[in-house]
Amino acid sequence: MKTPARELAAKVKSIHDSHIFSVRSDELPTWCPGCGYFGIHFGINNAIQRLELPHHEVMIVSGIGCAGRYPFFSGTYGLHTVHGRSLPVATGVKLANPGLTVLAVGGDGDGLGIGGGHLPHAARRDININYILFDNSIYGLTKGQPSPSSPIGMKTKASPLGTIDKPLNGSLMALSYGATFVARLFAGDPESIADALMEGINHPGFAFFHIYSTCVTFDKQFKTWDNLKSRTHPLPESHDPQDYKQAINEVLADDYSMGVLYHAKPVAQ
Amino acid sequence: MAGIDLTVEVCGMSGDGTIAAGGILNEAMSRQGYSALAFDSYPAEIRGFGRCVTRSRFGDRPKLALTDRTNALISLDDEQSRSRIPFLAEDAVVLFDDKPPSYVEENKSIAAHVEPTMTLYGAPFADLAAKAAGSARGRNLTALGVFAAVFGASPDVFREVITGKFAPKGEKVLRANLKSFDAGYEYALETFSKRLLNTAPPLRRTDGSRKVLTSGNTAIAEGALAAGVKLYFGYPITPATPIMEYLAKKLPERGGRVTQMEDEISSIGAVLGAFFAGTRAMTATSGPGFALMTELITHGVMSETPAVIIDAQRAGPSTGLPTKTEQSDLQAAVFGGPGDSPRIVIAPTDVAECFHYTAKAFQLAEKYQTPVIVLTDFFLDNRVENIEPPALEPEDARDGNIYPDASAKGAYRRYELTDSGISPRAVPGMEGFMFAATGLEHVERGTPDYTPANHMAMSQKRYRKIRSALADLPAPEEYAETGPLDVGVISWGSTFGAALEAVQDAQARGIRVGALKITSIYPYHEDVIRTFMRRCRKILIPELNFEGQLSGLIGHLDGTEIVRLTMATGVPMAPSVILKKIFEIVGEKAA
Repeated sequence: MKTPARELAAKVKSIHDSHIFSVRSDELPTWCPGCGYFGIHFGINNAIQRLELPHHEVMIVSGIGCAGRYPFFSGTYGLHTVHGRSLPVATGVKLANPGLTVLAVGGDGDGLGIGGGHLPHAARRDININYILFDNSIYGLTKGQPSPSSPIGMKTKASPLGTIDKPLNGSLMALSYGATFVARLFAGDPESIADALMEGINHPGFAFFHIYSTCVTFDKQFKTWDNLKSRTHPLPESHDPQDYKQAINEVLADDYSMGVLYHAKPVAQ
Repeated sequence: MAGIDLTVEVCGMSGDGTIAAGGILNEAMSRQGYSALAFDSYPAEIRGFGRCVTRSRFGDRPKLALTDRTNALISLDDEQSRSRIPFLAEDAVVLFDDKPPSYVEENKSIAAHVEPTMTLYGAPFADLAAKAAGSARGRNLTALGVFAAVFGASPDVFREVITGKFAPKGEKVLRANLKSFDAGYEYALETFSKRLLNTAPPLRRTDGSRKVLTSGNTAIAEGALAAGVKLYFGYPITPATPIMEYLAKKLPERGGRVTQMEDEISSIGAVLGAFFAGTRAMTATSGPGFALMTELITHGVMSETPAVIIDAQRAGPSTGLPTKTEQSDLQAAVFGGPGDSPRIVIAPTDVAECFHYTAKAFQLAEKYQTPVIVLTDFFLDNRVENIEPPALEPEDARDGNIYPDASAKGAYRRYELTDSGISPRAVPGMEGFMFAATGLEHVERGTPDYTPANHMAMSQKRYRKIRSALADLPAPEEYAETGPLDVGVISWGSTFGAALEAVQDAQARGIRVGALKITSIYPYHEDVIRTFMRRCRKILIPELNFEGQLSGLIGHLDGTEIVRLTMATGVPMAPSVILKKIFEIVGEKAA
């Protein structure tokens, strides 16, 4: 049943060597084979490519965790900061050089736990930073502890009786903090990720991308590929992304509808 | 030889115009050719709100310390001023309102409490102001009029300063204030004609200079502006906030921006991000905020990203004494944070140096690709000195970045091992030099690596780089005769002014003593300090912290005995305290 490590490594290498990714470095990703983050990587890759952004004018700022390693694999300029601080650093980068396309990336522990205090302020400052939250509801790099978005009852080595704290909802938080662009997406759908990123990168303010992902190694129960594939679905056709209340209602009513939840009308300067 | 050395206090309740009177006094004395050093002090024994005290030292030569004895007290509220009597010199002069408003009981008058050796000048401040201007509000200026008459200062200069301050508020207000001043001046000339002191007459400036009253915080902000800072990120904290407020006014005019962040962690994060993208940025904080910053400061060390951080120290630990001064962040500035993380720490000793060291910090940060911490303290930040407007050293405005050569394109090694430890740094937007920086240990190309030999080589590189910065850092300055010394006083930061004054006083009394000023805290000039130590029988290190943090840092350099003179009182060290210690040390020798 268990795939031998050597075989897994070969799989990752074969993906890398296939050059399916054009925005990439020579570094081999450290993610496990089957990780949802490859799908996010592919979505980001395609957005950068289709927007024809020069790679040296893209800056990826990350925190700590599996998602935090992204800048090493992206082949753009990158800054792997400390745990939870990608948004403040990205704020400095963008204000210093507004010509750069700035992506901030990190996991749910990084962005909703240790760095959770920065999201409201990045949203209210509304600087053109694109924040991509890789949300797999677990601390993967430290080998599987519950995260702020873990569902109640998740059993891990740090929560042997199951978690009792309520999960945070990243999309709802971003909306309530006043983010002017909020999308909820699924790592298994890189095309939608690319589409949303293209729209969000061109949005002049803060853009938040809440991406549901898997941790194939430490979560065999909740955010598995099977669960996410069967439960996620596109937003209803009737959804109007310019309607703030509708976006809030959608997030409150349905945890698994995917797409651009909110895209504020541009404010006349 | 003694010259003029006059410490004046104005004391009153809030609403009395105490701070305004102190400001006018400082400006007027400065324009009459005096050196001025002023520090509004809030006595430790204060209960509730309301008492204001300004403290100014005027002299015919620059003084960089406050004394612990006040020569003249201008009392705007006797009940408050009585608490200042213990801080008065034996022969102090007290100016007070001898017909105070009815709410002051007679036995509360300061006249009933001063020592018999002190001289009283009573004048009805409130009555005079009311008669002259129709309202007693200007009685603080009436008191200044009495001061000018008694001490022989130029009333015209006072009028000029009052005009400058009140003209913007309209003709009516200005006239009322001038009349209030004149009423005090004329009353005192007549009433005290037999006992005018004339101890602070206008001095003729010999150098034709136009000195400007400047606070340490203003000098820091001006130094940063001169060096071309574009972005400031910060979080309010005493005593660093005035730097943010000053820049918030000035930066937008220069295409820059002040961004108030959600905490000190995000402030330093944004500074690192901005420098990473090639723009000069800074933050300023105090101990509690600095503690929060230390993790990201070491990220700057590891990723070799520049940053400029002002740590305006205040008394700690924790929230401590927010409005009191201390020098207790030295070791936190040098060593704070995870791991071996060498960075540059510099500490100005006076207001002019606040300007120069802040400006220099940007150059150093860029050239050596490192966070640079400028250590000041409450006393240095909040005091005002009258100084010549400082001029920028041209090199400090130049781009200090060392960019990679075009030939490195495509094979760029961001952390190339070099003799100096400095590796050319690309900034985002440059084509062909893409890299990802990290707080993880890494190889020359920048990718993570945890092998033993590499960690050793990269640690060596980081230390080599910071040590090579010594070439650009100000060397210690010596104030001593040649040859062996009985006492060598090594000092830093705002305490240096007091140390120098004590040393010069002792030298004048024939004691073989010298002073060494250290402004480069890390890295520091080992050889210069060791050579100085070897000339001395004993070393005295006065500083405002409990254990002697500078002693801890440099004490190992030589076997000379080190005497630590430390104080955790929250108030600046007076020269007299250091002088007494010098006497004690040489006395030991005699015995």
